[in-house]
Amino acid sequence: MLNIVFYFQVHQPYRLRHYNVLDIGRGSPMFDDKLNGDVMRKVAAKCYLPTNKLLLELIKEHKGRFKVAFSITGTAIEQFKLYSPETLDSFKALADTGQVELIGETYYHSLAFLYDSNEFLDQVMMHRDLMQKEFGYYTETFRNTELIYQDRLSDLVFEIPGFKTILTEGVDRVLQWRSPLYAYKNYSKRINLLFKYYQLADDIAFRFSNREWPEYPLTVEKFVNWIDKLTLNESKGRNQFLNLFMDYETFGEHQWASTGIFDFMRHFPGEILKHDHLGFAFPKEASDLSNYQQESISFPEPVSWADAERDLSAWLDNDMQHNAIETLYGLLDRVKERGDDELLKTARLLSTSDHFYYMCAKYFQDGDVHKYFSPYDSPDQAYIYYINALAELEERLLR
Amino acid sequence: MKILMFTWEFPPLISGGLGMACYGMVKALLSLGIKVDMVLPTREEVYFRLREVSDVDTLPAVFLDPEKQVTFQSKAFQNTSERLEFIGISERPETYFQLAEIRRYAVSLKKEYWETEFVTHEEQDLWQQMTRNLIGEEDLIRKVQEYTLRAERMAKLLDYDMIHAHDWLTYPAGMLARKLSAKPLVAHIHATEFDRAGGPGDERIHKIEHAGMTYADRVIAVSQYTAQMIMSRYRIDTGKINIVHNAFSIPEDAVLSKERIFKGPVILFLGRITLQKGPDYFLDMAQRVLQIHPDARFIMAGTGDMSRKLLRRSASLKLRNRFLFTGFLNRKQVERILRAADIYVLPSVSEPFGISPLEAMAYGITSIISKQSGVAEVVKHAFKIDFWDVDLWVETINHLVEHPEYRAKIGIEGMREVNKIQWEEAAQKIRQIYTSTLAEYIRNY
Repeated sequence: MLNIVFYFQVHQPYRLRHYNVLDIGRGSPMFDDKLNGDVMRKVAAKCYLPTNKLLLELIKEHKGRFKVAFSITGTAIEQFKLYSPETLDSFKALADTGQVELIGETYYHSLAFLYDSNEFLDQVMMHRDLMQKEFGYYTETFRNTELIYQDRLSDLVFEIPGFKTILTEGVDRVLQWRSPLYAYKNYSKRINLLFKYYQLADDIAFRFSNREWPEYPLTVEKFVNWIDKLTLNESKGRNQFLNLFMDYETFGEHQWASTGIFDFMRHFPGEILKHDHLGFAFPKEASDLSNYQQESISFPEPVSWADAERDLSAWLDNDMQHNAIETLYGLLDRVKERGDDELLKTARLLSTSDHFYYMCAKYFQDGDVHKYFSPYDSPDQAYIYYINALAELEERLLR
Repeated sequence: MKILMFTWEFPPLISGGLGMACYGMVKALLSLGIKVDMVLPTREEVYFRLREVSDVDTLPAVFLDPEKQVTFQSKAFQNTSERLEFIGISERPETYFQLAEIRRYAVSLKKEYWETEFVTHEEQDLWQQMTRNLIGEEDLIRKVQEYTLRAERMAKLLDYDMIHAHDWLTYPAGMLARKLSAKPLVAHIHATEFDRAGGPGDERIHKIEHAGMTYADRVIAVSQYTAQMIMSRYRIDTGKINIVHNAFSIPEDAVLSKERIFKGPVILFLGRITLQKGPDYFLDMAQRVLQIHPDARFIMAGTGDMSRKLLRRSASLKLRNRFLFTGFLNRKQVERILRAADIYVLPSVSEPFGISPLEAMAYGITSIISKQSGVAEVVKHAFKIDFWDVDLWVETINHLVEHPEYRAKIGIEGMREVNKIQWEEAAQKIRQIYTSTLAEYIRNY
C-alpha cells in the first residue's frame, strides 16, 4: 500500500513597516498593518477560502478515504482573526470533519531552535495550546519552521510529551540510497521521521505552471501514473508513504487559479482512489502503519526545504542575517526578565523567520524567489528596517 | 552690478553642500544690492532673475522662449513648489534634464568662436582641453553638454557685467559665456576632483577644472586648504586666487531644542556616504567606541555610492543594533536627526570646506572634524583630528561620552562661535573681488 500524505503549511508573518531611525522612540507602530491586512485578504480570497471549500467538498465526496494535514502558525491564526475571520471559520469546518490532522510547530514560525532552546520549547507549547483552544486538537506530529531538522531537534521534541513524528525534507545528501517512501526513526530511535518526496511535491508546488518544464502541462492522469509507477519497485508488502509537503499558498497564490491548479486538485483524490493499492494517510498514522522495522537515520547537520541548497542559507547566510538574529536573541532574555507581555509579544513577532529571509542576498534563481516574497526593495532595506526595529525594542526596554 | 551666475545646485535642487553655499552667498549678495541672473540645470530652458533677497526662496523664473514665457506667466500655480515643478526642479536631482533633447555636442559647438585669428594659442589650447574632455556617454557628462549649449544662448541674450561659475560642471558654460561676451569670469571652486574621488579621479574632469580656472580672470577658493590644492595640483596662478570661506546662516524657522531618540549618547555622521567623507573611518571608530561604551548609538545619515559596502561591513563587525542607517533624509528630517545628536563627526579624507559641521555646531552639537578640511580653518571650538588617526578619534569620542558636562560646554561655545560666521562677511569679500575684477576689465578694454 502506498499512502499519500498531504501536509500543507499555512503561514503569514507580521511584516515590518519601512521603519526609519526617526521613528524610534515615538511610539510609531512597528508593523505594517495595512500591508499585512491587504496580503491576508488577498491570499484568503485567492487561496485559503477557495481551497478550503474544495477540500471540504472532496472530504465529503470521498467519505473518510481522503485526508490531509495542516500546520497553521500562530501569526497566521492571529491575522485571520484580525483581517479574515471567515478563513479561520473555514479551517475549523475542515478540522471538524475528522479528516484533517493538525501539526505542531513554533507559534511564531521562528528559528528559535537554532538559538534558544527554552524559547523554542515555549513557542512550541504556545502553539499546541493554540491548536487546542481554536480547534480542540491535540498535536502529535511536529514540523519545525521551514522543515529545518537535525538530530538535536529530535531530542528537544522528544522532551515534549505527545509528539511521535517529525516531518522534514528528503535531502539526497542525507538519505543517499535510502528511499523517502518509508517511515524512519531518528538517530536515537525514539521518534518517527517522514521525508518530503520533493521531486513530486515540487512538481505541484513549483513546476505546475512552468511552460519551460518538459512535462508541462501536468495532468492528473500523468501525475497518478507516476505515483503508480513508484509501487512497481520491490516493497515486499511494506507500507509506503508518499509525502507531498508544500506551502498551502501553492493553491491559487503561487499557482494562480488560471493555471488549472484547482481542477488538478479536484480530480486528484478520485483518480488515486481508483487504485486499491493507493490511498491517503495522516502523518500521525505512519508509525502504526509501518509494518516493518524502521531504520534509524542521523542528521548531524541541519537541513530545510528552502532553496536549491536545502540548508539554512536562506535565513542564515550573510552577515546581515547573522547580526540581525544574534541581536534579537541577545535582547530576548532581557525582554523576558522585564516581564512586560506586550514587549515580549513584539520581540517574538520579530523572531518570525521571514524577516531574515527578506535579508537573503543569494543570487540566481533563489534570489528571485526571495524577492517575490519580500515587501522591501532589497535585502539591505529589509536589514535596515529590522535593525531599526530592534533599536526601538531596546529603547522600550530602557524606558 | 549684475552677475550672470552658473551653478549646478540651488535649493530645492540640491544634493550637497554646493547648493547650500550658493543659497547663502546669493542671498547675501542680493542684500548688498547685487543683481543675479542664475542658470540651473532645469528641465525647461529658463534662468532665474534674482533681484530681492526674498527671490532666493521664490525663484522667479524667465523662459528664454518668449512664447513659453507668456504661457508660463498666464498659468496659475497653487504654490512655489508647483511652479518649480513646472520648470523641472524637484528635490530629487535625477530629474534635472530631459536627456532626449541633447544634441551631439562636439558637432554643434566647435571652431566658429574659437579658431578665429583673434584667438591666442593659449586660448585655443584651453578650449581644446575643455571640449576634448567634455566627451562621454555618461548621464552627467551629457547633462553638462546640454547645460553648456544653453549657456551659449543665455550669454548672448542677457545683459550682465560679469560671469560667476561654480565648480567644473558649469566651467564650460562660464568659459563659453566669457568668450562670447568678452566679460570677466570668476571661477568658484567648492571641490576639486581630487577631493571628490579621494584619489586621482576622472582625468577628463581634472582637465576641465584646469581649463576653467586657467581661463577665468579670478578664482575663488573656499579655503586655504583648497587654495593650496589648486596651486600645487593645477598650477593656477597664485595672483588671481582669492580665498572666501563659506558661512552658515541657520534658517529662521529652524527648531534647535533637543529631542532625544535614544537614551544613550548619539554620535552622528551626516553627509554623502562616499569615499571623500571617510565613512569607513566612522565605522572603525564605532566598532572601537562600542567596545567600551555599548550604550552609545552611531547613526550614519545620508546616502551614497558606498552605502551598501558600509552596511554590509557594519553587519560583519557585529555591531548589533548600535550602528544605524537612515537612508536619504529631507531637510526636515535632517533637522530632527541634528536635534537628537550629541556628537557630530566629519572624518573627511579631503574636504575643501564642509558646511555641514557649521550646521551641526549651530545646533549646539559638539563636533569633531577632519584636519583635512577647510572648515577647520574657521572654527575654534571644535576638535580637529587627522582623518586617518583613528586612535585619536576614538579617544576623543570616548572622552566626550564620559564627560557630558564638558561635551555640553564645548557644544555651547561652538554654537556661539558659529552664530558669528555669517554670509554677509563672505558676500562683502566677493563684492570686492567683483569690483576689482571689473576695474581691471575696464582698464584693459
